[in-house]
Amino acid sequence: MNPVITMRDVRKSYGTVEALRSVSFEIERGECVALLGPNGAGKTTALEILLGLRRPDAGEATIDGSVSCTPQSTGFPDSITTVELVAFAAEHYANAADPMATLQVFDLERFANKRVGGLSGGEQRRIALALAFVANADVVVLDEPSSGLDAESRRRLWAQLREGTASRTTLFTTHYLEEAEALATRIIVIERGTIRFDGTPNEFRMRFGMKRVEFTDAEGSRQVLATLDTDEAVRDLVRSGAPFKDLLVSQSSFEEIFLSLTGVS
Amino acid sequence: MNPRLVLTHAALLFRAIFRTPAFAVPAVVFPAMFYTIFALQFARGSPAMADQVLGSYVAFGIMGVALFQFGVAISAERGRPWERYLRSLPVNAQTRFAARVIVATAFALMAGGLVAVIGALFTPVTFTAAQWLLLALYALAGAIPFVLIGLAIAYLVPPAGALPITNILFLLGAFAGGLFLPPQFLPAFAQRISAYLPMRAYGELLWGIGLPGHGFARWVVVLAVYAIAFGIIGVVAYRRDERVRYA
Repeated sequence: MNPVITMRDVRKSYGTVEALRSVSFEIERGECVALLGPNGAGKTTALEILLGLRRPDAGEATIDGSVSCTPQSTGFPDSITTVELVAFAAEHYANAADPMATLQVFDLERFANKRVGGLSGGEQRRIALALAFVANADVVVLDEPSSGLDAESRRRLWAQLREGTASRTTLFTTHYLEEAEALATRIIVIERGTIRFDGTPNEFRMRFGMKRVEFTDAEGSRQVLATLDTDEAVRDLVRSGAPFKDLLVSQSSFEEIFLSLTGVS
Repeated sequence: MNPRLVLTHAALLFRAIFRTPAFAVPAVVFPAMFYTIFALQFARGSPAMADQVLGSYVAFGIMGVALFQFGVAISAERGRPWERYLRSLPVNAQTRFAARVIVATAFALMAGGLVAVIGALFTPVTFTAAQWLLLALYALAGAIPFVLIGLAIAYLVPPAGALPITNILFLLGAFAGGLFLPPQFLPAFAQRISAYLPMRAYGELLWGIGLPGHGFARWVVVLAVYAIAFGIIGVVAYRRDERVRYA
């Protein structure tokens, strides 16, 4: 089977900083791949090169088929309404979904006719996801899709990612191990521009550990996030605006194994 | 270029600008407001004066739309995350540019049209139907150099600098070009440079519509020189920006 996404010996530097050092991977139709790594690992650079937003210094990056994406930052035009924005994205794709139906998926239908400039950061993040999923594209590329989402929004995103996986190829970046393990059929760990691991979630669990961020949510349920970057996870939690208490950050037993492999501290 | 996507992008851009009073009001209302406050009493003096003043303020309004839509707006947008998202969509740069031209034309027609309506209602303007049509055509075609000046500013100047630079260029250029005062009443220093400014050439193009025997060729050449020069500068600056921003 021909790969849908190909990165072959891709190199990219910003001045003296090597963001990607000969990165290669192929992703086949129907795979859901998590590109995992700490901040500054090269994840976003890899996605930007795939999306044509950056040129590699060397190597080749291609996507075969239609592609939609979720921007990591939103910055939408303030005076446009939610439904206008999602309908605008849909216009670019032959098999786009109904914009209102997509808004319902992300619990945005009550904001349909509200201008996006008046919405909260978390609501704008959900709009960003709706922009990617309304397209019904062959390939969906998501940069930190759960960043800034509350627990309910994250659950909806996960449900959406699990739907229609046979026909859709998904590549997403995350620093949540829990998310990668729960959703991905394959995990690629990138660190300092180099691929450190490429395999299934099971294989990953065999080799790596993780840090945990635990807290009690508004309903009194204990929530657990597994992440490589607890600082960022806590920042996301605070940014989401969802109430929480009894925050606990702990280290997994596999952490030292991961550190020894990646050198991340 | 996909015509459906041109309209899709034009519709979004139009809504974004139209619903933002800080952009829409200065673009559409200010030229008519300045015309009413500062120029209407002079325009009522004679039919010839009415024709010239009307041409001046139509030029002022449309020039403003061209400079601000292609200069300030693009300069502000080019570094935003939304611009990166738009570039990830399956749509080419020509389609997006065509959409911006449509939207700018719509705002130009509104800005110039409002001045024209006020002029037609409250001054002894002598234009025939054919001359009104000619006014619209010359006003839109004559704005091309200002579109290109705007693009050069957009890609040469950082967003924080684009607004003040465009404002200075716009207001001083309109003054020295004779759009606020007829050129013969300008101070001596302004008269010396006036004939070489694109604002003056633009004004002359429109002033000539009501004047038989008014020479157009010289002013068309001035506008063409500015269009070519700033077209080249704009392309070079655009390519440099692309290399830096999306390298």
